[in-house]
Amino acid sequence: MSTNKQKFLNRYHVIFLVQSAMVGTGILTLPQKLSSVGYSQTLFPILFGVIASLTLLPMIWMNSKYPNENLFRINEILLGKWLGKGVNLFIVLQFLVFSSGIISSYMHLIQSTALPEQTITAPAFFFILLLVYIVRGGIRSVARFCIMTFFITIPMLYFLLWAIEKGEMSHFLPFFNYNGKEFYDAMKKGYLSILGYELIMFYFPNIIDQKKAYKHALIGIWISIVLCLITTAVSVMYFSEWQLKYVEFSVLNLFKAGEFSFIERIDIIGMTLWVFLILSTVTAYLWCAKRGMDSLLSKERKNYIYILALIVFLIIKMPFSQEFQEKLFSASSYVGYVILVWPIFLAIVHLLRKKQVQT
Amino acid sequence: MNRKFKLMFTLFVLLFLVGCSEKEVKVPLEEVGMVGIMAFDYIDEDTTKLTVAIPQYSPEAKRNTQIFSVKTDLVSKGIVKIEKLSDKKVILNQLRVVLINEEYARKGRVEKVIQNLYRDSEVGNKVLIAVVNGNGEELLKGQYLDKPNINFYLNDLLLPSINTAFNPNTNIHDFIYTVTNPVFDPILPIIEKIDDKIEIKGVALFKNKHMIESITPSEALIIQALQGKKKLAPLPLDLNKGNGKEIVMLDLIESKVKIKSNKNHKSPKLNIVLNIKGTLSEYQGKREHELNTPKSIAILEDDINKQLRKDIEEFLKKLKGLKIDPIGLSENFRMYYKGKWNDKLTDATIAKLKVDVHVKTSIISTGTLK
Amino acid sequence: MKFKLVRTTKVDQLIKKPNNTKNQAEQTIETLKKNTRNIDDVLFKKIPTDEGIVTVIYSSSLVEKMTLQSMVFIPLANHINQIHQVAEVIDPSDLKDVTAKLDSGQTLLYFHQTNTILTIDTYSAPTRAITSTMTESTVIGPQDAFSESLETNISLVRRRIQNPKLKNEDQTIGTEANIRISIMYMDDTVNKESLDTLKKRINKIDYPSFTDISVLKQLIEDNPLSPFPQYYMSVRPDSISRYLIDGRIVIFMDNSQAAVVCPTSFFEMFISVEDYYNRWTTASLLRMLRFFGFFLTIMITPMYISALTFHPEILPYELLLNLQESRSKVPFPPLFEVLFIELIIEVLREAGSRMPAKVGQTIGIVGGIVIGTAAVEAGLISNILVVLVATSALLSFLPPIFLMSNTSRFIRYFFILSAGLFGLFGQMLAFAWLITHLEGLKSLGTPYLAPFIPRKASDLLDSIIRFPTALLKSKTGISKSQKK
Repeated sequence: MSTNKQKFLNRYHVIFLVQSAMVGTGILTLPQKLSSVGYSQTLFPILFGVIASLTLLPMIWMNSKYPNENLFRINEILLGKWLGKGVNLFIVLQFLVFSSGIISSYMHLIQSTALPEQTITAPAFFFILLLVYIVRGGIRSVARFCIMTFFITIPMLYFLLWAIEKGEMSHFLPFFNYNGKEFYDAMKKGYLSILGYELIMFYFPNIIDQKKAYKHALIGIWISIVLCLITTAVSVMYFSEWQLKYVEFSVLNLFKAGEFSFIERIDIIGMTLWVFLILSTVTAYLWCAKRGMDSLLSKERKNYIYILALIVFLIIKMPFSQEFQEKLFSASSYVGYVILVWPIFLAIVHLLRKKQVQT
Repeated sequence: MNRKFKLMFTLFVLLFLVGCSEKEVKVPLEEVGMVGIMAFDYIDEDTTKLTVAIPQYSPEAKRNTQIFSVKTDLVSKGIVKIEKLSDKKVILNQLRVVLINEEYARKGRVEKVIQNLYRDSEVGNKVLIAVVNGNGEELLKGQYLDKPNINFYLNDLLLPSINTAFNPNTNIHDFIYTVTNPVFDPILPIIEKIDDKIEIKGVALFKNKHMIESITPSEALIIQALQGKKKLAPLPLDLNKGNGKEIVMLDLIESKVKIKSNKNHKSPKLNIVLNIKGTLSEYQGKREHELNTPKSIAILEDDINKQLRKDIEEFLKKLKGLKIDPIGLSENFRMYYKGKWNDKLTDATIAKLKVDVHVKTSIISTGTLK
Repeated sequence: MKFKLVRTTKVDQLIKKPNNTKNQAEQTIETLKKNTRNIDDVLFKKIPTDEGIVTVIYSSSLVEKMTLQSMVFIPLANHINQIHQVAEVIDPSDLKDVTAKLDSGQTLLYFHQTNTILTIDTYSAPTRAITSTMTESTVIGPQDAFSESLETNISLVRRRIQNPKLKNEDQTIGTEANIRISIMYMDDTVNKESLDTLKKRINKIDYPSFTDISVLKQLIEDNPLSPFPQYYMSVRPDSISRYLIDGRIVIFMDNSQAAVVCPTSFFEMFISVEDYYNRWTTASLLRMLRFFGFFLTIMITPMYISALTFHPEILPYELLLNLQESRSKVPFPPLFEVLFIELIIEVLREAGSRMPAKVGQTIGIVGGIVIGTAAVEAGLISNILVVLVATSALLSFLPPIFLMSNTSRFIRYFFILSAGLFGLFGQMLAFAWLITHLEGLKSLGTPYLAPFIPRKASDLLDSIIRFPTALLKSKTGISKSQKK
């Protein structure tokens, strides 16, 4: 195929890698996260989309300065070997904890809906096994999996039909019915749900058409945003404000509204099918973490992925209290915001260095 | 060497993991008692009588439904108690109907009970709720000769049968939605056991988590019409227009409602336009032989309009007296209100509400006979 | 039969040298006999001719008497020049090679006077007539199928594609049994890179003998460990020529009925050549049936396990009560119940294919009905499960490629086990595995899920829905054909 061995991600790969990494557990709880603004949350995803498009710019700009290096290498180049490695280690750990958080919350959801009376050990173990299987195929395998995931899971939109039928359009009004504090709260908690597009900084060197990468990533982002928008809109139509606030997995309850003549509970099908979305998100993160390991230890080995998977498994199964786990996972989510602004910082360093060289 | 080591390592880890997994005992389907109906009867403020109906599959058994009754203060405690009585594991996965007796509805903690079920992920959201006139346990234990299985009987009775029979079915989601939504007050259907039949007697109106009043099905029809339901149950009307006793029956109704508010919750005013299209299925009265010209039908339509308008206005007045809003009329003001809407605002709005009702009926056909 | 025409001028020069002594001739015969010792179907016949004594050596099992008569004996007696016209000269000093020639059905003529050996191709081993296929039969379309003879098969294809660009390269493989294979392709459309890869793979093979082309296929597949067949196999000349025109590479093997087509895709396993003969609406319907049938057959019985062990709430109440009733007598958990009945079906199928045709049908019916009903009545399995298992067994025979239907049966067990472990969640995990595995597979460098990971938009016209024939002119992306 392509003569350049490093570059193999075509535009579809980029679109769906960006899109799938964004849609994971976040969208399940998005209406609840945004519940501080009540019924006015409908249009929030669009705001998120705008912010995401803006924050994507410095990432792409930064990467296009170093078209053959991923963020880990850029860190090392710009910050020096040891400082860079330190930052990279931090990012790798962050990714591991973040993906553990995603897996753990999904596993608990599965445990409460589909697998009652069972511990999450065995399901989590097999889940991670599959994870390793996918990641071992490299970023292209992950990207292909993302494409398939999109087409397999998109029919789930149909499951929302019943909720839409029952919902009240009048809930959309009035727009912008919130104060500053509520807005801030919703932004802080809700934006987490659409994290994932920042991973483009790590697979950017593998993209064939790097000039158009921004456009393709934007398409991916906005597909996700539309999905989020549909979720919040239908939730707003279907729920009361109290329900928005106290129903943790809103999507699950939206699915509960429907039934086929032969399947009474769509929610179980929906939640188990969700494993594809979780897999596609976590594989992307894990692959990036693996690249991080490669650059930390300065050599590429396939075996690192087993070590990383083991760490993820141990984090999920760690014998700490539920409270500590939750704190850890939410802390790691907020650290995710740092990665969003990180390229801006790097850009400044880059410009300063350039000046130094010139003078 | 490296491969072998990897293999050994994996096996080793797997071996340890076996120890982690506890032996999980799966209860096979045939050893599970799937509760179909739950009934709550009021005893006193703290204790409830919980009755459950579990279908039996064994062909040899004389009764096809097992009914267990326990006194309890918490729902889950009651389930545990029932498990002791039953030979099977009791699960709520296939719960279909929750019955609440009237006394419990008026005094008990209906909202808490339903919320408990709503939280339980095993219970679907489509569980129907109904108020029982009398005793829920008796209703479950009753003999219904032509409907041997109470589980199916009640479920079929409460589920809307294709838009014809009147049915204000309310499921768990609807109940929680209306209870927690400040612009709504919940309604629940009332059923009653009469000899060996169960009948939907009317609709219970709730105010702040407690039942306060019951209304007739025809009044409940107005609620549905004003909520914007597109297909209505057959509508009987008494026309008292100086022509003596006249009874009209409209069938296959398509209704459309337009509500316009003045967007001012301080001096609220609503303009309601109800469009009804239907078939005149039955008519009793003096005009029976005149109803074959478009003109006479137009007169009849006009009479129906006036009568319906009067009925609606009277009903709204009644709601105003009760200070409740089962239709969700105050939603029309919440839509334009900046800030958090609450129950107090609803109450104030309803108390001050002025309504302007217009009804437009059109009779599409009068059947195939001339 | 095949005749090789050889230029005769050189031959004449070689033969016309009467400088041979009797001793030398006997020596040569001696060596020849030594080489063919214990191969008793090799016969030596001395015949006096115009050019002295000629020993005719041939393998009686590979050469028919009639052929021998008309091609060797009559010309030897009457017009010896004819022999020189068709015969080929080989070097008499290298006699080791001679046995190989005999094995391939050639007849050797040793001219005692001139000490020269000529060979005539007289290969005329008995072959089967061209019959219609039992395994890939269709209602519409040509009924002829390949036979076990390489020449027949190639001629069946050449008859359909009369184009000088159609090439076939012969080769011999097998370290012990020398088997002829032929790689066929359209010179102007085939992807040269793929062709090179394939040839390299074939040359690398170190395997003693090939009894069927499927052995070869397994050795040159991209992922030999996968349960999925990665090359298409067919015995239908019309199907094969369709693929050749599309730019694929086809491998034929002597003594093997089927031909292998590569590269191919997962989706093509559900395409029957009859789809192109049917109206496009019918064809699309059938294709959808086959394709979704594959996923149904691996999902139905696991669904039963999941619903019964983990999620009783997803089934309608009435159905569930029926299930409860029929399950009440069954002593095993659903997982073992399903495994039990699935194994019985496998046994029935396997036994049915081994039994003589006359008995097989009766036993199959008896086994199916008796075991089915009796097992339900004895309370070993529930009656609903019998329906499900029978349906999924039937569905598994939908793919036109038999190897695919075997695959679907195999991976069904994988799904059954995962459903037994984690219910629907397990099934979805298994499904995710399946998707990952399929997308990782390649068929001669082409992604196995080709039309879905779009390589070419026009491929989608001929995927689950077969669009009207006029739209299907262009070459598929799967074959990566050369741009003209």
